[in-house]
Amino acid sequence: MSLITDEVRALLGTTKVYTAPEELGGAAGRYFGLAIGDNNPLYSDPEYARSQGLQGVTAPLTLVCETNQYANLPIAADGYAGHVWEIEIPGTRKVRGGNWYTFHRRIRPEDVITATWEITDLAEKKTSTGADMLVVTSAATYTNQHGEELAENKETIIFVQSGVAK
Amino acid sequence: MPVLERTINLVDMVAYAGATWDWYRLHYDPEVVAENGLPGPVVDGQVFGALLVEQIQDWLGPQSFTHKLDFTFRNLVFAGETVRCEGTITEVGDEYLVLEQRVVVVGEDGSEGRTVAAPAHATVLLGSADGPGAR
Repeated sequence: MSLITDEVRALLGTTKVYTAPEELGGAAGRYFGLAIGDNNPLYSDPEYARSQGLQGVTAPLTLVCETNQYANLPIAADGYAGHVWEIEIPGTRKVRGGNWYTFHRRIRPEDVITATWEITDLAEKKTSTGADMLVVTSAATYTNQHGEELAENKETIIFVQSGVAK
Repeated sequence: MPVLERTINLVDMVAYAGATWDWYRLHYDPEVVAENGLPGPVVDGQVFGALLVEQIQDWLGPQSFTHKLDFTFRNLVFAGETVRCEGTITEVGDEYLVLEQRVVVVGEDGSEGRTVAAPAHATVLLGSADGPGAR
């Protein structure tokens, strides 16, 4: 059976664009560093950051790909408040596949992030146990208010047929 | 490259939820965890990307920039578990390194458990704290 419904197929190539309502701010990087246990002074000490050639404090690199700050969406019933494609495929469970990040430069507190998401690929495959699965590939580009490229993020979400896969 | 080990407790997970504006209940809500038949709150998978970058940055210092990073998820990690990031150099260029990394769960006795993320690959630029897009 095909897991690619007409509804899902129609999403291929569509984009969603989100622009943050404000600058990221220096606290965001310091908070993220604290949360992951990374006490690198690049995220908290402006003098140290400048001594390394930066304009000031920055954030751990993956924050730009992780934060939902730019999305400015309400908190859903499941607690999530970020970008989603709202793909539901009956009889499947959803798992994360992987991420492919490219970082162009370090984030600055004054950056206002715009994220542009696009579904770039739909691929049907079989698991090792013979279950059908659909791999949905999305790509995001992150730019700032001056059009500067900050980062790219390709990610895969896999819908696996329930009751077959282990 | 030196390993990075980190025990991820519920308070860390709540802090990560706040820092990323991501309050997905599976990461902290015991009712949702029980409904899904899981042994504990699930660590947000993107934490491991952050740890892989931290491992590189701690090792190579501020005059380095992780330009590319990819990783494939293998297994969930639950609150209170310890993970270890490991890596090796696979290519050395004039001003860059290519690394292969992975993340595994570590048992209380230090033994290796489930694979969390693998393979993972990074391309690291050397000689500057910022990336090629910096102006």
